[in-house]
Amino acid sequence: MKSIDVHIIIADQKMPVSTGVEFFNEIKDTLPDPMRILLTGYTDVEDIIDAINKGHIFSYIKKPWDEHELHRAINNAFEIYSTRKQLKEKILELEKINDELNRFIYSTSHDLRSPLMSVLGIINLSRLDNSVTDPNGYLNMIEACILKLDGFIQKIIEYYRNSRLDVEYEKIDFEHLIQECIGSFRHQNTSIQFQVNVDQPVDFKGDTFRISVILNNLISNAVKYQKPDESNPKVILSVKVEPHKATMSIEDNGIGILSEHLNNIFKMFFRSKNNNKPGSGIGLYIVKEALNKIGGTINVESKYGEGTQFEISIPNRNDFDS
Amino acid sequence: MISIPDLRVILIDDNEVDLLLHERLITLQQISRTVLAFNNANKALEFLSSNITLPKIPPTVLLLDIQMPEMDGFEFLEAFYSYPAKIKSQCHVIMVSSSLDYGDLSRTYANPMVLKLLKKPLLASELKSAIAEIFKDM
Repeated sequence: MKSIDVHIIIADQKMPVSTGVEFFNEIKDTLPDPMRILLTGYTDVEDIIDAINKGHIFSYIKKPWDEHELHRAINNAFEIYSTRKQLKEKILELEKINDELNRFIYSTSHDLRSPLMSVLGIINLSRLDNSVTDPNGYLNMIEACILKLDGFIQKIIEYYRNSRLDVEYEKIDFEHLIQECIGSFRHQNTSIQFQVNVDQPVDFKGDTFRISVILNNLISNAVKYQKPDESNPKVILSVKVEPHKATMSIEDNGIGILSEHLNNIFKMFFRSKNNNKPGSGIGLYIVKEALNKIGGTINVESKYGEGTQFEISIPNRNDFDS
Repeated sequence: MISIPDLRVILIDDNEVDLLLHERLITLQQISRTVLAFNNANKALEFLSSNITLPKIPPTVLLLDIQMPEMDGFEFLEAFYSYPAKIKSQCHVIMVSSSLDYGDLSRTYANPMVLKLLKKPLLASELKSAIAEIFKDM
């Protein structure tokens, strides 16, 4: 019977060697898919209870059976069988699509970036060997465009990784993490003064990837949206770790956000019109999505022309282990 | 300047432009006089196994790309792992990649044969300090 595709099994309860329920119980593991119908002349409550609990019976029919009743039972059973089968196929299909999406992200991160990095390499080399005369600075323009394009690709990868990677909790040292994040932005505007206050008296466990995505995007914005004429540009980062949560604040004295835009800044591809900075409008959307994944919240306060402050709260997963 | 006179650099990368770029970079910066470029990891393995007949194997830096068709960087390392100590002890592996894939990066850091991971585009300053670090005790 194992080699044939069986949809429905109808068995009599009272049989010489084993009962119908025993038979169903026996084949439960080898043939889990077919729907089971039990036929019996006796209406013993114990039998019925056994049938449902041990034999995973779909329907219980009394002998002598009514033809319509049996017909209906078979039809219903087949419908459930088909629906379950379809569901299994859909799951397989989804798994395949998921797998393809993962490979798509992988090739985006490699196949799209690789030629861009070659172009940057060529530009670097041409500067080293002085082989290109470029009085109008075209190479610099090419480089700026490539860096911008690469920025978009990196954001796309970040977005997909956030939506697809499993959340993983590890110990986080905020002082270290923040210094690392700042390190990658410091060169963009060397006049900015970074103030870091980390108050971490207890251990913190959280998803390192998502927390650094959040920090990187917010610090990047704080660095990018500075006032060009500000004599004392600064970014203040504060972290306070408590047993149940960490609260972080990222504050700048940059250009600020118009109050009518504040409700929209976390929307995908929203870009404020009051600045001419390059951007994709996806950074804060990724921040919001990453916070959703780890159960965090974000608040923003901003005064146009004076600065912006983001406040984030992230649950500490430390006490869930112990 | 790196002062290891017989240092040689072996480049393994399927991307011809990057091979050329890295070769030029190393020559221009006088990092090494000998640069051998392979666009296929198998060919590099063949070359390295032919080295066994040399009386003395010169100090060698391998710049190894991660993603390559046929044999990728990790498969190369797996095959190279079984090479005789005479060759292996002279070869120092630096991985070079434009990958941002978390899996690739953590596999690279976890591999004990990889001394350093450099991101593309390869910068002369980074390559120089990586090589200086490798040979600082020699």
